[in-house]
Amino acid sequence: MTKSRVKVERRATWQWGLAIGVIYAAVAASGVWVAATAQSVRGLFVALERNQDQQDALLDEYSRLLIERGTVSSYQNVDQVAERQLAMRFPEAVQKVSR
Amino acid sequence: MSRWRHLTVVGTFVALALGLAVRMAYLNVTERAFLQEQGDARSLRYETLAASRGIIFDRNGEPLAVSTPVVSIWIDPTQTELTPAQVGLLAKASDLDVRELAGRVARYAHREFMFVKRRVSPQVAHDVNALGIPGVHFEREYRRYYPAGETAAHVVGITNVDDQGQEGAELAFDNELRSVQGRKLVLKDSRHESVKDIEYITAPRFGRDLALSLDLRLQFFADRELRTAIEDHHAKAGTVVMLDAHTGEVLAMANQPSFNPNELSRVAIDARRNRAITDVYEPGSTVKPLTVLAALESGRFSEDSVIDTAPGYLQVGRMLVHDPLNRGRLSLGEILARSSQVGIAKIALTLDERMVFDAFIRAGLSDSTSCGLPGEVVGKVPGGELKNPIVRTTLAYGYGLTITPLQLAQAYLMLATGGVRLPISIVRRDSAPQGQREFDTETVESLVRMMKGVDSAHGTAPKSRVAGYEIAGKTGTARKVGPNGYDDERHVAFFAGLAPADDPRVVVIVVIDEPQGDKVGGGDVAGPVFSRVVARALRVLNVEPEFAS
Repeated sequence: MTKSRVKVERRATWQWGLAIGVIYAAVAASGVWVAATAQSVRGLFVALERNQDQQDALLDEYSRLLIERGTVSSYQNVDQVAERQLAMRFPEAVQKVSR
Repeated sequence: MSRWRHLTVVGTFVALALGLAVRMAYLNVTERAFLQEQGDARSLRYETLAASRGIIFDRNGEPLAVSTPVVSIWIDPTQTELTPAQVGLLAKASDLDVRELAGRVARYAHREFMFVKRRVSPQVAHDVNALGIPGVHFEREYRRYYPAGETAAHVVGITNVDDQGQEGAELAFDNELRSVQGRKLVLKDSRHESVKDIEYITAPRFGRDLALSLDLRLQFFADRELRTAIEDHHAKAGTVVMLDAHTGEVLAMANQPSFNPNELSRVAIDARRNRAITDVYEPGSTVKPLTVLAALESGRFSEDSVIDTAPGYLQVGRMLVHDPLNRGRLSLGEILARSSQVGIAKIALTLDERMVFDAFIRAGLSDSTSCGLPGEVVGKVPGGELKNPIVRTTLAYGYGLTITPLQLAQAYLMLATGGVRLPISIVRRDSAPQGQREFDTETVESLVRMMKGVDSAHGTAPKSRVAGYEIAGKTGTARKVGPNGYDDERHVAFFAGLAPADDPRVVVIVVIDEPQGDKVGGGDVAGPVFSRVVARALRVLNVEPEFAS
């Protein structure tokens, strides 16, 4: 075995070691990243569920309020209140009012 | 050294593989039943995410159809054994009869699904949930509710139990209104409880809201006055259509009989018909203005033309056309105001064969209005026998053709726009659409001036007068066809008009089908409805009165 060949093999071993170390580090980092992402997904999923529940609750309330408004402000209701409670009547004639 | 290391690694992996194989074989043989059960019980299931259908509003944002959440309560009787005490609590909270529920639970004992109660309010579901009975599940659904009830039932339409549009705007715009449920993948345990959300497959898509052209206030007036007229005259049915004279939007479309869309179980199919677009009538004298329009356009007649209707009848072939009395010499305006059959017959026979027919076609009487509502029928204006003077004469005063009330409204809309035919819309428009000019503005304005006489003391409908405003219109009283030809006892009363006459804001058509009693004419039956509806509509629309009354 010549001196130069021993030198080359040593360098190769050193380079392999570095490459494997880097790969190990990358795998470890990737594992941590996967775990962190999974945790983040779980968090987002929970937030999504919470937001959807909130959206559902708000839409429920909105629909109920809309129906209530439609019922209370219906012209049938307004007409009855105007005629029966406030003794109002529809003007059958048009009068010109001078200022 | 190297060889020993190699053997160790290979040996380890082989041992691991063998170990796994042995364990697999052992589990398959000895623990199979237990594992199978556990696997089935803890399984992945798709769960739906409810989404609501779009809301239908009127043109001012008043709700006409709203989906409100409801909850269906269910159990899996094979997994849940309810004690009598639990059944009692469940029945009480859900407002059910205890014995009925207990009987149902017993009957469904071997089934995997049973509704305790469908479509209860979220509050009831909350109360049931508070009982803490294990194995009781809740499914969120939506129920369609129609705040305007009967008032706008035909236009708004209805949906079925699957939330799909069945009639009216609900059907016509189903694609926009429809919602799509979302889906997620969940891990469930043996009691159907979600253990873990695995994946969000699709987000729920809520339906898009829709603004109709209807003005609920005007719709209410139209519906109320129509209902009153139907009751007063013991009529079979009726329709009121109101169009915006500037944009062609349908502001009101009321029909009687009507139905409550919130309670469909006892509704007769007949009451669900939107007669404004599905029923065709012979329009009678309401088309006479179009005959006069053809006369004016021909150049052979003008506003000043006078026609001698003496002696009050006219023989056309084997048909005798007659007025109620001899009215002598009448101007075109008087012919319209008094609805003289003889005058119209003489005009029709003076004109070229196709002139009146062409005017009807150009006014849209043989075309669909394309208003956007489903089930629209198109009437027929036969043009095959125009050589026959009897056909030309009867056509000129509204017999021998059939149209829907909405087609008649579109024709009168053309008079309101000065001769431009506008497409009709049931959806709110932000601006006036591009119309198609069919007649000269001057000719149409001249005709509308002549139509102002209808509510005069000598006109056919003094009761159609609207305090403070000048209107233009025409009455119609058409006999209905019975088994032995035209029936003298069954009529359809019409009033079609524009208001205010000089700068029309609304076009209103009133149709009363088979009024009973001494007075069955358009002027007596439909005219007052027009008057009351228009008087209220013009105030609501802020149209300034033209004069004091």
